[in-house]
Amino acid sequence: MTRIIGIDLGTTTSCVAVLDDKQVPRTLVASDGERTTPSWVSWSPAGEIAVGTRARRQAVTNPSATIYGAKRLIGRKVNAEDVAWFAKLAPFRIVAAPNGDAWVRVHGQPVSPQEVAAHVLRRMRQVAEEALGEPVTRAVVTVPAYFDDAQRQATRDAGQIAGLDVIRILNEPTAAALAYGAHRGADGRRIIAVFDLGGGTFDISIMSVEHGIFEVLATGGDTALGGDDWDRRLQERVVDEVFDKYRVDITGIPIAMSRLREVCETAKKALSSTAETQLALPFLANDQHGAPINYERTLTRLEAEQLTKELLERLEAPCLRALADAGIRAGDVEDVLLVGGMTRWPAVQATVERIFGRKPSKGANPDEVVALGAAAYAGILSGEADDAALLDVTPHDLGIKVGDSGFSVMIPRNSMLPVRARKLFATTSTDQKFVSIDVYQGESTELGKNRKLGQVVLEDLPPGPAGSVRVELIMTVDVESILGVTARELKTGKEASLTIRPSGGLSQREIVEIINRRRQEHSVTSRLPPGMVGNIVRVPTREQAAVLPDDDEK
Amino acid sequence: MAAGPLSIKLRCTSWQQLATIYRRDLSRGSMFLKASSQPEIGTAVRIDLELPSATVIELAGKIAQHVVDAQRGTGVELALEPLPTKTIWLIESALAAENTVRGGAPRDASAQAAEVLADGGEVAQAEDELIAALEAEAESLKRLNPFLVLALGYEASDGDVRGAFGELTKRYHPDRFARYQSSRLRQLAAEIFILIRDAYRKLADETARSQVRAQLGIKQPRAKTPPPVRPTGPMPRIIVVPPKEPPKEAAKEAPKETKAEEPPRPTQYDAPTNPSGKSAAIASTQLARPEELLAVASAPAHVVDRKSGPVRRPQAATAVMPAQPMPVAAGEDGNNLDALVDQGKLDEAIAGYRAAAKKNPQDRSARAGIELVEGMRALAARDRLEAAQRFEAALEIDPSNERAARELADMRRQATNERKGLLSRLMGKKEGPT
Repeated sequence: MTRIIGIDLGTTTSCVAVLDDKQVPRTLVASDGERTTPSWVSWSPAGEIAVGTRARRQAVTNPSATIYGAKRLIGRKVNAEDVAWFAKLAPFRIVAAPNGDAWVRVHGQPVSPQEVAAHVLRRMRQVAEEALGEPVTRAVVTVPAYFDDAQRQATRDAGQIAGLDVIRILNEPTAAALAYGAHRGADGRRIIAVFDLGGGTFDISIMSVEHGIFEVLATGGDTALGGDDWDRRLQERVVDEVFDKYRVDITGIPIAMSRLREVCETAKKALSSTAETQLALPFLANDQHGAPINYERTLTRLEAEQLTKELLERLEAPCLRALADAGIRAGDVEDVLLVGGMTRWPAVQATVERIFGRKPSKGANPDEVVALGAAAYAGILSGEADDAALLDVTPHDLGIKVGDSGFSVMIPRNSMLPVRARKLFATTSTDQKFVSIDVYQGESTELGKNRKLGQVVLEDLPPGPAGSVRVELIMTVDVESILGVTARELKTGKEASLTIRPSGGLSQREIVEIINRRRQEHSVTSRLPPGMVGNIVRVPTREQAAVLPDDDEK
Repeated sequence: MAAGPLSIKLRCTSWQQLATIYRRDLSRGSMFLKASSQPEIGTAVRIDLELPSATVIELAGKIAQHVVDAQRGTGVELALEPLPTKTIWLIESALAAENTVRGGAPRDASAQAAEVLADGGEVAQAEDELIAALEAEAESLKRLNPFLVLALGYEASDGDVRGAFGELTKRYHPDRFARYQSSRLRQLAAEIFILIRDAYRKLADETARSQVRAQLGIKQPRAKTPPPVRPTGPMPRIIVVPPKEPPKEAAKEAPKETKAEEPPRPTQYDAPTNPSGKSAAIASTQLARPEELLAVASAPAHVVDRKSGPVRRPQAATAVMPAQPMPVAAGEDGNNLDALVDQGKLDEAIAGYRAAAKKNPQDRSARAGIELVEGMRALAARDRLEAAQRFEAALEIDPSNERAARELADMRRQATNERKGLLSRLMGKKEGPT
């Protein structure tokens, strides 16, 4: 049996890890030495596709076909509030699919975020296969705790397109807590907080852990706040200084902006461990007289913190709200775990300490802990490790329609999976021929505000006066969130049942079409020299420039 | 024709024979018996299958076909009712226990060769056995009250409940079964997990626990005892007075059983023979003559005991928990005896229970106590099959006998663990060289 890898599919960067022979989770390093891969995918006009750092470098010259943040779109409707926010910000077009889902437009072709994410996942799979020297077909993939069924299923679908069997979708804070070993240690129930400040988003989760059982009590955060904002503040500062001194607006010069972005990011990272760093941008642009601008200055940590003070302040409110939602005080939190590269910043750590009143725990590598936790859980699923089990809960109330517009909850939200509920119903009229049971999910007592999932019709009921015929309804949700509904007439034992899988927006047929299209194109490219089978593969331009292979069919 | 079912007695003289009967006949639901006369098709039959350990398993079925066959001889084909999970578990665990006991002994070469060839099949079989173990465990958990499901004492605290839930979750969460091929395994694990989770929910806080205790008729939690399976102090117990039965002798009391104990019709059967005529395994199975049967039925004490605690469970025992506490019959004596059991003074305990049962044949708790102690003795002697049957019998006599319920659940849990371990080893072996 092949090993199961753990993938942290991030908004800005992704990471892959596996449990090694000594049962220790280990990050898998790409052949170019990168431990994490930017979640960026770009298509050149000629149909070349690039993933990771190479894609990100193209962003400046090919902004409309360089996609990032696909995670913000996956399984979402285009009219959702934060999708609309992202659409305004992103240099590429976000369009509506026929079913209202948010897709992107690349060289005039609509591409689903599932396909974009699939390219990143395929790259992660490739990194793993190269590092392990064996084929990889199964993965545990992490998602934010607040992802709904559609977003989780869409992430699974992306895995399927990438040739990966996603055997479990795992919550990121839970994965991080596993990697930190929060399930070991003292007996008794402990409350922990996972503070995750990544490149593009900020997530705070309050969890309880006891005897290896994790429970997410509340989540919060700011999806519009991340390390990129810190970079942007530094960039803005340099842009302003250049303008003040040379009267040149470099925001109109793509190459200059690209270099500026990289320099600022490097400087920001350096300031995690040093008190000051150099910003050096020789020949950044030409001034009004055509003379080169050589920008160089020292940036101190203190100054950088001043520039980004407002960003730090935005961290507090979501934490307090999450604590309130969980019904606990900051003092009840026994451990705060740091995740995400930005948490390396001393100022961020100080902010966390101020909010929670205790020093946070620092992992060896906050960029990798989520992937490491995913790998640890992959080990549990493959039977290699056995010190934890994770409990997922149902995100919504599940119930059925009663009367004309009533909603009767059978499985309340936050029920641990797997779960089963049973209810008895009686016929309402004499010699009733059939019953039809409408299954809904949602939190509202008004039926109309909830989402209909399906219908079970049980026919050929035995005759009898109203109330004499009894129908038993059993509703189950398994660990993979697959809902089963069975209606059974008790006298005759006649049954009708229904299985509902969450939908991520793409139908199974569409997914298979994408995979087949890829396979067809691949038959053309597989004759390319082996050296070309890396990040970038040239394929003949077709009417669909969207789906391009970048590795061998396994 | 009001006569009771035809009674047939089969005795397996070796475990191998049992294995053959089990795999070839029982698991496919039919059986060929050589017979000099051929009773009417559709006649009900009851088969007492005696195992080499002298314990008896009851099977039910009916005559399906008259067979006149040169090779097989004249006889009847029996259609057996599906084996209850409990029975399957009993047989399998007996066979498994026998295999482990004889572990060191060299097995015959052909069997070994078959095993090497099997490989994949071996894993599949181990999965099947794990499925049977989980089925048995799920069934035994369904009969327990929430405290017993979590293997807790009634005084359990919030922390105890969460701790037990956590430990059991780690063992039975379907994710723990994700690596196996069979989806039935995950289904069963989910089933057990749901039972565990429901128990946890019912006991999550003190208010909920006192409600459950009230339903069970337990007034005050006793002094704290260590939670899991082998408590050191006396367990609170409920004694159920037998349902309205005429005071008879214990051995005859269950009216439903009387029919079954009518002397069998004097039909004579020969031993079932191997249809292919190849080997001797079945041929040596003996069918008891009526006189033998009577002798067996009255001779060893445990057979008599078993009859009083019929394998077909009376209605009272099917309830998950008694609806309300019944008047206490055994009183202080019972508690003292229970204490003796807890202290491991089995001989004294059984003597006490016997005396109590003699004094008052209606004292179910005493009669169940006898079975319980016999079961614990069998367990000490590593006769797991006997032990399981004894505990089952104790529960059938007195469904509220917690000690028996605990022991049984514990044995089944252990069986599951062993099967899981075996399967993991087999899978490891298979994966190893690749």
